[in-house]
Amino acid sequence: MTAVDTAAGLPAAAAAVDPGPAPTGRRGPRRAGVRVARAVLFTVLGAYFLVPIAASVAFTVRDRGTGGLTARWYTGIPSADGFAETFGRSLTLGLLTVAGTLLLLLPTVVLVTLRLPRVRRVVEFLCLLPLVLPPIALVVGVRSVLSWAPDHFYGTPLADAFFALQEPDLPWILVLVYVVLALPFAHRALDAGVRAVDLGTLTEAARNLGASWPRVLVTVVVPALRTAVLNAAFLTLALVLGEFTIASLLGFRTFPTWIVEISGASPQLSVSVSVLSLLLTWGLLVLISALDRRRPRTTA
Amino acid sequence: MTAAVAGTPTATVAELRDRPPADVVLSGVTRTYGSTTALDALDLHVAGGEFLAVLGPSGCGKTTALRAIAGFEVPDAGTITVGGRDVTTVPPSKRDMGMVFQAYSLFPNLTAADNVAYGLAVRRRGRTERRRRAAELLELVGLADRGDRYPHQLSGGQQQRVALARALAVAPQVLLLDEPLSALDAQVRVQLRDEIRRIQLELGTTTVFVTHDQAEALSVADRVAVLRAGRLEQVASPDELYSRPATAFVARFVGTTSAVPAQLRADGQVDLLGTTRPVAGPVPVGDVVALLRPEQVVLRPDAGGRGRVVTRTFSGGTTRVTAVLPDGTEVAADVVSTESTELVPGTAVEVAPTARPVLLVPAGDA
Amino acid sequence: MLGTLPFFLLVGVVLLLPVVVLAVEAFRVTDPVTYEDTWSTSAITSVTTGAYGRAYLGSLRLSLVTAALGTVLGLGLAAAMLSVRRGRLLRRLLLTASGVLANFGGIPLAFAFIAAIGNAGVVTALLSDLGITLGASLYSTTGLALVYLYFLVPLMVLTITPALEGLRPQWREASDVLGGSGWQYWRRVGGPVLLPSVLGASVLLFASAFAAYATARALVGSSIPLVTLQIADALSSNVLVGSEAQGKALALGMVVLVGAVMLVYGWLQRRASRWSA
Ligand SMILES: Nc1ncnc2c1ncn2[C@@H]1O[C@H](COP(=O)(O)OP(=O)(O)O)[C@@H](O)[C@H]1O
Ligand SMILES: [Mg+2]
Repeated sequence: MTAVDTAAGLPAAAAAVDPGPAPTGRRGPRRAGVRVARAVLFTVLGAYFLVPIAASVAFTVRDRGTGGLTARWYTGIPSADGFAETFGRSLTLGLLTVAGTLLLLLPTVVLVTLRLPRVRRVVEFLCLLPLVLPPIALVVGVRSVLSWAPDHFYGTPLADAFFALQEPDLPWILVLVYVVLALPFAHRALDAGVRAVDLGTLTEAARNLGASWPRVLVTVVVPALRTAVLNAAFLTLALVLGEFTIASLLGFRTFPTWIVEISGASPQLSVSVSVLSLLLTWGLLVLISALDRRRPRTTA
Repeated sequence: MTAAVAGTPTATVAELRDRPPADVVLSGVTRTYGSTTALDALDLHVAGGEFLAVLGPSGCGKTTALRAIAGFEVPDAGTITVGGRDVTTVPPSKRDMGMVFQAYSLFPNLTAADNVAYGLAVRRRGRTERRRRAAELLELVGLADRGDRYPHQLSGGQQQRVALARALAVAPQVLLLDEPLSALDAQVRVQLRDEIRRIQLELGTTTVFVTHDQAEALSVADRVAVLRAGRLEQVASPDELYSRPATAFVARFVGTTSAVPAQLRADGQVDLLGTTRPVAGPVPVGDVVALLRPEQVVLRPDAGGRGRVVTRTFSGGTTRVTAVLPDGTEVAADVVSTESTELVPGTAVEVAPTARPVLLVPAGDA
Repeated sequence: MLGTLPFFLLVGVVLLLPVVVLAVEAFRVTDPVTYEDTWSTSAITSVTTGAYGRAYLGSLRLSLVTAALGTVLGLGLAAAMLSVRRGRLLRRLLLTASGVLANFGGIPLAFAFIAAIGNAGVVTALLSDLGITLGASLYSTTGLALVYLYFLVPLMVLTITPALEGLRPQWREASDVLGGSGWQYWRRVGGPVLLPSVLGASVLLFASAFAAYATARALVGSSIPLVTLQIADALSSNVLVGSEAQGKALALGMVVLVGAVMLVYGWLQRRASRWSA
């Protein structure tokens, strides 16, 4: 999970007032004590955060037989049994979820900002719900609903639709649930983007020139929100590539469930894949922050 | 701090009025940040009970000077004394001062009254005394009925009034204000400026008021100290600063000046715009630049005149008319509006000084 | 408005409907003999006692402790980070790392810890060469707490940094000139101003720890009493009729608990931020 709104933000700084030089603090014994405490905190927490990663790498590059180094557990990943299938599936699910999230949320956020300020709070609330609702509870509910197909309306087109959603090769039901799980992050990213550009003026200008709403969305809104959209997309993708609970409890094989599957027979492989997936997340998020930095600073 | 004058309805005001005024002396105060020298051996004397404005362009070290007095900056060199006590290394909380910041300094989680009473609360004064003094000071700044408001429920001007009341509530020896008006809009700014002056006169507290706005400095202060690049350029009464600036920098920064080429003669007279005037003080003979105030220049419509009107700006009773001379020099003049109707752009005019220039400087330095 | 319809539709069907169904069907039980569905509170009552009751307690304890520790450590780390002068680079580094690590929950995290301090872990081996054995097993509640903190602390750093940055230096300075000590400033101004944000962040931490399933599954199987593990077990045991209902009841209990926490949080939040706009 990434940054999340804590409900009570501080009153936003208004006008362009020179905040003055940063406080430099006093020099003296108290200052030195603070520095020591800080150094200790950084060292201890730094070690805590680095050791598992370093150990994972060490665990996977050491050859137990010869005692030397080996890249076997990394080079062997692509050809590992089940990797291609499950990673491909997770990636597909991720891309579909990204598309679904954007298609669903982008018009909603834009319309709420421009035309429906009254439902803003409702949308915000609904988008924050998945953050506190335990996914495992959600998945139990989803299972109950899915079980209506055989239990209650077997033989109807609705049941066929339900079964289609649960096609093991491409379980669309996961896409639907993942879109819901991605709402908090995607909404946050898009909402921040919408607030940063003056959408009202932009779209009004376009509408005055005679553009239709869908056209405005595609030609004006999306380009203006490019960074926000990419941001939301990457966060959503990272979420799907790591999601285990839902997939496992609905009985689908995805990349994360595959890692668990192989861990018994091949602990090194499961750790090397974990290291790679950490690198993947890291890459995605560094990309986001690079994009964030390129965005011109607009005063909100 | 002297014992509280309990019982009287104006305890804090009385306490402030009765304290012997303390002077503030900065001697050779230097503060550098890496390669920037914010204060360069600054000497400054603020007399007891005086209202001193510190004026200068942005980045000249005003805030640093004020923060050094408050104790937030420890000088690299030099000393600061308050009422004879050396406070150079005394932490801010032990300096007995009040400070008003540019903006947003009120504690957002406390009501206006609790903000005002903060200094008393940390001194462990009783609740009734805190209440009474907060009410008294809110009254002083004209916000008697806003005590229970939170800062976000107050306008910018009201917030600054509360900040002033909060600073005064501890009956400080010295009051420090760092551009307290610059975040406010023009009308409120003038109103609050006058009010600060009124309160200061009433209390007689030694006050240092930092601003980059010369009109603000001139209108409230007993004396104005002009800072430039961390050094004191001149300190004088507003009147003197305007009429007898010590340097070209001061002349330009305070009020409007026109720089007109002139010749200084060996007999101590200056040739200026076709007139000859005596000069006081030693200035090297030769080419100089005379600095003239707009009210020291007359423009007479004259078909054969060397000047030509380029702009006119109406400002009520007077109109500012700018003429350009053949050598490109621009000269501004204030003309009584009713007599300025002929001076439209393009008019040929004769330009002449009516008084001695405020300053002559060697031609290279202007 | 038509454009928002898909959003409300999906949220209605995939988020709200399952929760409602959960709340209803937790009170339905299937008779083992006749396969008749009847209304009953037996599933609900069974999950509040015995092993299930212990699982709730275990989950609550683990998530409360880790949320509290995560709040304190994250707050300390964020404050330390912001207190470094000219620390722009450090700040960017730590915030990016926090972004990555807060996302690094679940399965990969568990395996990283197994590789480090698991039975065959690198650090475990290193220490045993030195004759040291780890005080607590990774596969215990303590071990789990250690692993949870790995994503909770970064989550706290990410969530609270904006609030810490929102504390204006002028407040501290105003308190200083007025004669306040550092402690007085934090007690009267800094603390109360931060409180709503800290509360919000720690509730988020609690919810994350309470809902965590993947990490626990990969690390401890079902050897530790945790609700999430119990729910998964109940759902996967197809032999026992009625275990599905038990799973629903357990899940409903989680929702109710989280809901209760949110209510308390909302109340505290309103009290703590009375002064804000
Ligand atoms: N904390 C600081 N770190 C680095 N440079 C500073 C700091 N504070 C002030 N300066 C520099 O010192 C000079 C004077 O600053 P300041 O006193 O704030 O000016 P003023 O208030 O007159 O605008 C400026 O060049 C400013 O950039
Ligand atoms: Mg300044």
